[in-house]
Parts: sequence; C-alpha cells; structure tokens
Amino acid sequence: MLEHLDALYGYAMTLTRDKTEAEDLVQETYLRAVRAANQPAPEENLRAWLFVIMRNTWLNVMRHKQHGVQIFDDGTTETAVSDINTNPHVVYLRKLERELVHEAIASLPVRHREIIVLRDIEGFSYHEIATVLNCPAGTVMSRLGRARGKLRDALSARQKVHRRFG
Amino acid sequence: MTNCENTRERLTLYLDNELQGDERALVEAHVETCDSCASFVEKELTFLNTVRKSGPLHAASPELKAKVSEILSSSQEPVVRESSRRMRWMLPVAAALLVLLLPVVVWRIVRQNDHPENGVPSAFALKAAESHLKHIRGQLPLEVTSSEPEEISEWFENKVNFHVKLPSYQETSGQEILYTLEGGRLVNFQNDYAAYVSYHMKDRPISLVITSELLAQPSGGEEIASKGLMFHFNAIDGLKVITWSDRGLTYALVSDLEERGHQSCIVCHQGTKDQDFIEPLKRH
Repeated sequence: MLEHLDALYGYAMTLTRDKTEAEDLVQETYLRAVRAANQPAPEENLRAWLFVIMRNTWLNVMRHKQHGVQIFDDGTTETAVSDINTNPHVVYLRKLERELVHEAIASLPVRHREIIVLRDIEGFSYHEIATVLNCPAGTVMSRLGRARGKLRDALSARQKVHRRFG
Repeated sequence: MTNCENTRERLTLYLDNELQGDERALVEAHVETCDSCASFVEKELTFLNTVRKSGPLHAASPELKAKVSEILSSSQEPVVRESSRRMRWMLPVAAALLVLLLPVVVWRIVRQNDHPENGVPSAFALKAAESHLKHIRGQLPLEVTSSEPEEISEWFENKVNFHVKLPSYQETSGQEILYTLEGGRLVNFQNDYAAYVSYHMKDRPISLVITSELLAQPSGGEEIASKGLMFHFNAIDGLKVITWSDRGLTYALVSDLEERGHQSCIVCHQGTKDQDFIEPLKRH
C-alpha cells in the first residue's frame, strides 16, 4: 500500500489545498484501509479503492465542518520532484511550465481539479474515476470536458502573463 | 464516421485511451484522412501532454512516509498475535457453543427450507434496496427527470448494455393513475451499469432497478409464479423487494408498501384489465 503514498498525498492536496490537512487525510485513509475487512484482492483495484476511502473520508470531514472548503492557500512548501535533465536552463523551463500547470489546476474548483488529477496526473480510466467519484461514466466524460476547458483557459492566461512579465 | 461533429466526442475518448479494437481503428482511419480532426488531435495532445508531464503534483514528506509505514506495520503484526492468542481460549468456547446450539441451527435450516421467504436475498435485491434508500436520502439524485416512460427508456439507450423499455402499462390498461414516473439514473452493479428508475405512489417512493439476466438471477425469498414468470419476494431493511427475470432482463422493484409480499404487487396493479396477471397473485 505504501507505493500509493505519493499519489494519495497528491490527491489529498488537491482536495484540501492544505499541507497539514492533507497529511492528516492521508494517515486517516491508511488507518481506515488497514482496518477495513473488505480489502480488494487484485492489485489493480487497490489504488482506486484507496482513493475511494480518501474521498469518502474527506467528504465526511467537510460535512462536519461549518465553514466548508478552505480558501486557496498556496503557501505550502513541497518536496521538489527530481528532473533527470541536467541542463540548468531546460530544467528551469520545465520547472516553470510545471509550476504554471500546477497553479492553473489549483485555481480550479474542487470538482474540476480532482477530475483532472485523477485522469491526467494519476492516469485513472473513466471507469475507475466513476468508481472513485461514485458517478456514472457519462458524467465523468462531461465533467472532464468542462474541467479541461477551464484548465486550458487558466493555463493560457498564466502563460500570457508570464510571457509579458517573465 | 463522415460527420466530424460526431467524431469530436470519439476523439476525446481516443485520446484518453478509452477506445479499443474496431472503434479505435475507425477513429484512427478518420484522423488520417481529415485535416481538421488531425489538427484537433494535435492541439489536444499538446495540451494534455503539458498537463500529464507536470505530474506528480506533490510528494509526501519523509515524515509522512514514516508515519504511514508505522500505521501499516503496526496494523499487521499485533493483529496476528492478538488473534492467535485469542484463538487459544476461543476454540474450546466455540466447540462448547456449537454443541449447545447445534439443535437450534438444524431447526433453523429445516424451518428455512419449509419457509423460503426466510432465504437470503440475492445481491441484486440487496443492491436495489440500497439504491432505493440512497435515493430517498438524496445520495442518488436522478440524472433524467420525466413522467414519460418513452423518454426515460430513450435516455438509457447507449448508456446500459441492454435495451430498456419501461411499461406504459398504467396508461394503456385503462386503470386509474395510481403511481407517477419520476425519472432515472445509472447505478453500479457487478462492474457494470444498471438502470435505476424512480416512481412515486402518492408520497411513497418506489424504485425499479434493471440489469441484464447475465449479471443477476433472482433467488431467495418467497417464490410465486404468475403469468409464466417467477417472482421472488424479500423483506430487506423494512422494504419490500420483488425480483424477477423476463426476456433477458432482471428486475427489482423496491417499496415500503405495508402489504405483505405479493400483495404489494396488487396495490399498483389493482383495477387493471390485466386480470390474468393479478388473479394468480390473489390466490396466494
């Protein structure tokens, strides 16, 4: 189960946008998973199952909160993801592009950013996403289409600003 | 595949690796001959690759990794030790209980065979009851709302792997209007979609769940044959669940009607002209 830690932490950050809350959510997810009696046998289902547990745990937390989802706070410092390219300028450009994409994703409403993360970052199939989000595959497709449209706009706006002032 | 408008939706599925075999080949053949769609694919791929290469978004800190490792390791070892310790005194207790309870168990099994209504409901009946409760609680909102059976049947086309044709029984039989169709949605069953249809009878909700007979066969509960069909009646969580198969499909009807078992059928079908359906039920 430990091999899914980074993916689960990424999803937790997508949902909470807060480092402390995300870490709590990850630990709660693992606690629930190891206590669950109905652990899936096949390895391919384990990842989606863990994501389902995380999402349900988060929804429960949100239901108990009076103030709803926290306002976007990007002040968290993240562990840098290594880049195999050693050319400093190429590394810089890739890092910049990645940051712009991350910023654009983070600017989306939670229902859009989570579906982008599940499909385009974690590579879940429509069927797996439908399982995690507990919705029909048709809804996955339409929501993903809207989310990508918003992301395209958000990314393009950031790229324009960067070209002008960067 | 001559219309590019229709192809665009397929192109998204293609780019998301959701098409296989002939469907995939058909899209690829179209893109090779259509400049407009080829340009669309190229732009979409550039955008998607930019997003996909940006991952992973975050990496867990070494502290978090250590905490999770601890959760995983502490959850395994003590549980095994605890259970093996418990087993030592539980075995003689379990053996003693078995001897004491054996006559009761045998009596229950015999009684269950005599009264099949005590039988275990099928997974499909349980799923239908769960969907009904979730819908009442607002956890399963309808995806299509209409009181027209044809409209709801049409909505399910190409969404489920079987043909849904909701009965316009009430309208054609000449009986008074007792129940109203509300709408439908998809629900998951056995890694596939089943059709969920919601009705109302006065203020009481009634759910109909439909799947392929290949995925669910009615079983358990009180069995009553009528008009060449076998109906299974179960009581689940205070709900009445009736399951049956007909022409390749399996149905589950859920309600909180107080009438016992098959009597609940008569509630909706009373006044109907279809007397050969109702009469066998009344005889039970």
